[in-house]
Amino acid sequence: MYTCEDTINLLLDYLDGEMPLEEAKHLKEHLSGCAPCIDFLRTYRATPGLCRRALAEKMPQEVSTKLMEFLRTRIKSAS
Amino acid sequence: MSDEAVREEDRQLVARAQAGDIEAFEALVEAHRDKVYGLALRMTRSEADAAEITQDTFLSAYQHLSEFRGDAAFGSWAYRIAANHALMRLRHRRVVEAAEEEIQGPAFTERGSLAEYPAQDWSRSAEGKVLDAELRRAIQEASDHLPEGYREVFLLKDVEGLSYEQIAEVTGDSVPAIKSRLHRARLALREAIDRFYNRGNEVG
Ligand SMILES: [Zn+2]
Repeated sequence: MYTCEDTINLLLDYLDGEMPLEEAKHLKEHLSGCAPCIDFLRTYRATPGLCRRALAEKMPQEVSTKLMEFLRTRIKSAS
Repeated sequence: MSDEAVREEDRQLVARAQAGDIEAFEALVEAHRDKVYGLALRMTRSEADAAEITQDTFLSAYQHLSEFRGDAAFGSWAYRIAANHALMRLRHRRVVEAAEEEIQGPAFTERGSLAEYPAQDWSRSAEGKVLDAELRRAIQEASDHLPEGYREVFLLKDVEGLSYEQIAEVTGDSVPAIKSRLHRARLALREAIDRFYNRGNEVG
């Protein structure tokens, strides 16, 4: 029987779908009887998406103006 | 526009740019500059560095445009160049850095059961449209506090969407090492988010 620790150690491989069938079976068995691990799995799975949203950035207008000017002069001088 | 439509438009722009159409190249820059800049800013945490990396990335993309093959997406090609530039700066910055600390995962009992578990499952409420400003800050802080090698892998995979193989290529690390660090980083961030949702719920 897998413990919570075994299960949580394997979450990444499990969610990537890269796990031997036997291991995945043990993991599902543990999950089916362990509510804390199910909550853990759900919140672990939600983490990357939340982080992506929290860390989104937009280029400030003056930076993009400078970028275009930089590229125009460099490209022209090269051609 | 769907991803496929974007890629098709990029393919046409690349073909025109390769034939010497500078406006087509500028359209490619416009379409991808936010993502390149975002990657550079998140990685280096410096606006000046991010602006320079963005310039270097697109200049280098332009100079190597003839080597670019249509089988890859222009976007992921550009992000890989940007990741390379950003990593070079980070490596340069931390030549004298000490060995990296470990990230602690969740606590387990002697029998391997979770010692503390989520008081609430917040995975659903996390799907809401607007992201709470405080939660945003908590995540930014937690990401800033990750040891550098973990932060890099987490940003490249979970935020920038590079594949394990692409990350291995730019960092020079093995895929298993990358996965193990990514897992640790996710545990740390999950815990930070969990603390946010359970703040004020502490017993006693
Ligand atoms: Zn469990």
